[in-house]
Amino acid sequence: MRLGIDVGGTHTDAVAVDREGNVTATAKVRTVHEDLLVSVRAALENVLMQVDAQDVARLNLSTTLSTNAIVEGRTEDVGVFVSSGPGVDPESFRIGRHYYTFEGSIDHRGEEVAALDGDSLESAVALCRREGVRVFAAVSKFSTRNPAHENIMHEAITSDGTWESEAEFVTLGHRISGMLNFPRRISTAYYNAAVWRTFNAFADAVEGSVRHYGIKAPVNILKADGGTMPLSLCRGLPVESILSGPSASVMGIIALCDVVEDCVILDIGGTTTDIAVFAAGAPVIEPEGISVGSYPTLVRAMKTRSIGIGGDSRLRVVRGDVRVGPERVGPPLCMGGTEPTLMDAFNYLGLAGTLCDREESERGIAKLAGLWDIFPEALARRAVDYAVAAIRKAVEELVAEINARPVYTIMELLEGRKVRPRKAYVMGGPARAFQSLLAESLGWEVETPRHYEVANAIGAAMTRTTQVLELFADTDKGVMFIPVLDIEKRISSRYSLEEAERDARRNLIALLKENDPEAARRDDLPVDIVEAQSFNMVGDFSTLGRNIRVKAQVRPGVNGPGRRGSNGKNGNGTVRNGKGGR
Amino acid sequence: MLTARNSLGIVFFPAFDWAISPTHPEREERLLYTQDQLREEGVFDIEGIREFKPEVATREDVERVHFCIPSVETVATKSHLVSAGGAIRAARAVMDGEVDRGFALVRPPGHHAMKCVHGNRGFCNINVEAVMLEYIREHYGNKRVAIIDTDCHHGDGTQDVYWHDRNTLFISLHQDGRTLYPGTGFPMDLGGPNAMGRNLNVPLPPNTSDEGFLHVIDNLVLPVLEDFKPDLIINSAGQDNHFSDPITNMNFSARGYAMLNERLSPHLAVLEGGYSIQGALPYVNLGIVLAMAGVDYSGVREPGFNPEKYRQSAKVTDYIKDVSDKVRDLYFNPPPCPKDGEVSGDYYVRMKDIYYDTDGISESQVESVVICGDCSGTVKLETWSSVNPLSVGIEIPLDACDRCAGIGQRLLEEAHLKGSYRYVQMINRRDREYVQYGF
Repeated sequence: MRLGIDVGGTHTDAVAVDREGNVTATAKVRTVHEDLLVSVRAALENVLMQVDAQDVARLNLSTTLSTNAIVEGRTEDVGVFVSSGPGVDPESFRIGRHYYTFEGSIDHRGEEVAALDGDSLESAVALCRREGVRVFAAVSKFSTRNPAHENIMHEAITSDGTWESEAEFVTLGHRISGMLNFPRRISTAYYNAAVWRTFNAFADAVEGSVRHYGIKAPVNILKADGGTMPLSLCRGLPVESILSGPSASVMGIIALCDVVEDCVILDIGGTTTDIAVFAAGAPVIEPEGISVGSYPTLVRAMKTRSIGIGGDSRLRVVRGDVRVGPERVGPPLCMGGTEPTLMDAFNYLGLAGTLCDREESERGIAKLAGLWDIFPEALARRAVDYAVAAIRKAVEELVAEINARPVYTIMELLEGRKVRPRKAYVMGGPARAFQSLLAESLGWEVETPRHYEVANAIGAAMTRTTQVLELFADTDKGVMFIPVLDIEKRISSRYSLEEAERDARRNLIALLKENDPEAARRDDLPVDIVEAQSFNMVGDFSTLGRNIRVKAQVRPGVNGPGRRGSNGKNGNGTVRNGKGGR
Repeated sequence: MLTARNSLGIVFFPAFDWAISPTHPEREERLLYTQDQLREEGVFDIEGIREFKPEVATREDVERVHFCIPSVETVATKSHLVSAGGAIRAARAVMDGEVDRGFALVRPPGHHAMKCVHGNRGFCNINVEAVMLEYIREHYGNKRVAIIDTDCHHGDGTQDVYWHDRNTLFISLHQDGRTLYPGTGFPMDLGGPNAMGRNLNVPLPPNTSDEGFLHVIDNLVLPVLEDFKPDLIINSAGQDNHFSDPITNMNFSARGYAMLNERLSPHLAVLEGGYSIQGALPYVNLGIVLAMAGVDYSGVREPGFNPEKYRQSAKVTDYIKDVSDKVRDLYFNPPPCPKDGEVSGDYYVRMKDIYYDTDGISESQVESVVICGDCSGTVKLETWSSVNPLSVGIEIPLDACDRCAGIGQRLLEEAHLKGSYRYVQMINRRDREYVQYGF
């Protein structure tokens, strides 16, 4: 049996799902923002009254802890050490109060162009020490090609000869992601260090509680990319736990419905509608990473779009036009609110089921309509039409944006796969009210799954571990490097793309098996090679070697009894350039 | 968070699956390190910079510009159509107001492709800028346009395409043709009889550095643009003037390129040559991107750059001042007729021999243009080569007067009646008719 807990903005949901995929227990408690542990415990206790702790094989937790800490600025001071070299001024990426830049440069092939300035590095370490900074982020440009300068910074921070180091945690840029993007590497490393202490305190408490309740199963943390991460790994990479809410909901739908084709997943809540797209056997992922506040990061995440249309969205009339949202005024009149909302419009039209007080809605809609000399029914109808049209427009824009993503080979440009959803899954409070209207507007089949009110927690429960790694090999220099694992290996001049793919795959599987007992039991882990490129490097008109780049992932998906999720398709979306000396 | 002062659309298309041959400079690897640099610098996260996916140029887009003998399909591969389509996408983004500026970072290049195309010369098959510009004129009206070619090689293809066009000012800055392919591009080549002074060539001596290039921009290009008053400025942004380029002899730097771009302030830039793919392109492209977006580029510095080492000699400086003054005078006071060719009745006629170095094709042409005071003049181009028999192309220009349009139609009839042409093609820009016969 698997437990899933989703700590959301309003509620904390928990479910237990048995081996056959049946939901055997559910719980919903209010989220206590000041102490999320209280909510986690309450939800857990509630579920454990319905099922036996002994039977729990896995506990997955989706939490807003790190996100809230960042958004609300409750983070720790971080010593940010940055070595940039030529290019955009690294001052542009200043973050936090202890940001230091150093001379030193590594180029795009990982060649050291200028050594790191050791003197200013030492004085920065001393300054941080004086100011009591305990956690650090060390980032250099092109560290995913050659981490030497990050390693030197790490060394200087942790083992200065003259004093006992007080550094407790150092995030190294290349260990976060193998992708190229120096500004994102800086902000991601910063956030990782900034929430490290908070997250680990929470992790200790959660593990303590879980053991206290008699659960022996491993704890996993939900990520924004539709996968989980073992808590043991997440302690060093807490930034990976941010913004996992939409991921829980989307994976919930995938677990509840037999999703195989391209489709759109809509989570219609009180305030917003979140849209995600499922294509080629997995959720569509942001090409680089998700943004936190105004800072883009390298944290892998599903591509989602959020618009201000929800059940509690305010109704307005602007110069005779009926508008919905984006501000929220809920609850609706029919549930004791003070102003008419979208839900009241649905209720007026008899589309909101029987839970609502119809009279309250009717009175409110009629009052608003009276101010503008509109028939109440017309107002309600136009509000609902407006909301449906807004959702439809956002869906179409998101799909168009995904299809307009740049590609870099002629093959992909001419024959690249297009995302063509023909079905939508809707969840959230007003889901049923919207179902038939959306079906009509989109011209697609629209499904509302069973248990949709706790789909997020089900998603958390059923989601499996994901991991991604990049491999970079340069046969001219004779080096293979996997940044996130810090694996560096000498290779021969004959090292090929096939060997690189094999190495990427093998290391990815080894990492997973080492950290996730569930993965260790499986011998069919869904590993995809999502990018595989090999370029001949030519100097003075003769070939010097090959520049190889491979990206491998464990595809996001759900664990379930056989069918569930996205195991079927193979190698979708793989980018290859067959040429270049394979 | 960095913000661009000018919003910039970048079409980045490295064609990672296309090469002329495995070790050819125009190969898969060419923009690999540029991509690495742009991604690592996070330029696509800069507020106001957007990346666009290229389109594929259609046959009609090419037929609007070139006489492709025997057909577009035989001379232009998909990669060429994507390169041109990338430039078109960048242009559309600017013309539709999605962004202020556009940079098409595409390959293969195009500025050696001439009006008539039998194959590949100088790594080019179709003229990317010309296909883009005629797309603009087709969809956004007959714009007055200046193309500034800052590739190290003379933009002989673009010169040829716009030789007779009075609404297109073409200025090429390049290493002196006596020392580098294609061996052309001298100051006295000023355009056809109806467009004298609309084609300017600035041959620069080997070892010209930042100072020399910027002198030409400040003292020749900007004053001429001030007078010409173009609606649009296009930069053919070749990057082989860089001091590390393996096939040229200039001393331009990445920051120099950025400064040039900042002063020129083009609406659209299109990548041309540049084959120092590790030492120059990543930095030059970064410099150009930042300059176009109006973001500080002073930190862009390529490894091995030492301004002292690459400073030009006083002799080079004097020579450049001289050529720059001379060409400026030629723009303002062009001689009455071109130095090559002769008047034959109503026509001005010149002969040309063209060699396609990449494909080893030799072509000969007889080009006749109607001498006209009212428009750019209808052109008849008779061509034969080592791969195609005698064929003819007739172009009625976009600004054609009624007389020239009539002459164009008559020339087409005559070409059919005369019957000795294997292929007959007509580009009627005025009435938007593009026809090919001979299949």
